[in-house]
Amino acid sequence: MAKRKFYDFGIRPAPEGENSPLELATLAKHLGYSGLALVPHSDKLIPENFLKSAEVDLEGFELLRGLELVEANPSKLHGLIGKFRKKVDILAVHGGSEKINRAAVENSKVDVLNHPFAEKGRGLNQVLAKAAGENDVAIGLSLSPLLYSRGFWRVRLLSAYRATLELARKYEVALLLSSDAASCFDLRAPREMAAFAQLFGMEEAEALEALSTVPDKILARKRLSAGSIRPGVEVLNNFEEGELL
Amino acid sequence: MKRLLPSLRPRKRYLAIELISNAEPSRGEFSREIYFAACSLLGDAAVSECDLKVLGFEAGLGIIQCAHTKLSETRAALAALTQVNRKKAAVHVLGVSGTIKGATEKFLEGRTAFKIKAEHLN
Repeated sequence: MAKRKFYDFGIRPAPEGENSPLELATLAKHLGYSGLALVPHSDKLIPENFLKSAEVDLEGFELLRGLELVEANPSKLHGLIGKFRKKVDILAVHGGSEKINRAAVENSKVDVLNHPFAEKGRGLNQVLAKAAGENDVAIGLSLSPLLYSRGFWRVRLLSAYRATLELARKYEVALLLSSDAASCFDLRAPREMAAFAQLFGMEEAEALEALSTVPDKILARKRLSAGSIRPGVEVLNNFEEGELL
Repeated sequence: MKRLLPSLRPRKRYLAIELISNAEPSRGEFSREIYFAACSLLGDAAVSECDLKVLGFEAGLGIIQCAHTKLSETRAALAALTQVNRKKAAVHVLGVSGTIKGATEKFLEGRTAFKIKAEHLN
């Protein structure tokens, strides 16, 4: 079997976080990842040369441009999604309220809905999960809130993750495990992430899938969309004449 | 007293680990932080089943023992460690082996702990 490629799609580099993209990438590579997606919480937090600096080649290590949209108004969110879809590789939405979660899972241009847990209640419900499954929007579960909370808060978070997992299994929603790291010290190796995910009920295979297959699929979709016109129709640039006949 | 046959002894796993941190804790300090993180995450009763022990720790590299059935819980507990001596830290499991010798030879020999570049220390 080919060696699994692991990705972390929830990195918040400086100035939002503490470390530069390059430092995060160096450590992530050491920990065994094949790629990172930098998803700052606002396009204003992307410095002028961020998009260029993100294209540093680290010998096969992929550093992807991403953005996590934070917006409280659903119709504005749809506007932002349209605006940034072509500009970034990974488009995430910062979930929270029921309205925003709903807008995100009903828009198939969104790759990931991150932390959809509302202040009160469970965040995801059967309606949202169904929509997420149909529109191929992955639900992102992030590790760092679990690391930095204790007692009551961690218990509540773990049960929210558990409930999300149940719904995701039922409606075949892709789950994505990410670190949500703001500093180098928030990064954990893929196997440790998987072990942590087992605490809220994930099987080991499921967890590894959430770290490798799911991000791989998002990437494949992204690569495909470079020449695609609509689902099923694609522009092929370099094929020999008669090759398809 | 007659020694227990090797096949009858409880089975263990030995995790070769590195500590990614600017702190340079002693074995005792590191061990205390591990227990603190583990008990907070898993609870005292569950940690007692893990048979968790820091067997050796030096210059950011170490070996941690756990029960062979509790490997994933132990890994999660190690991941839950976020600070040592009030400095941010993360544990990276380099590899797992069934013997101390195996863990040392395969994963630790000739290695130095990963350091985050000095100009970016927090």
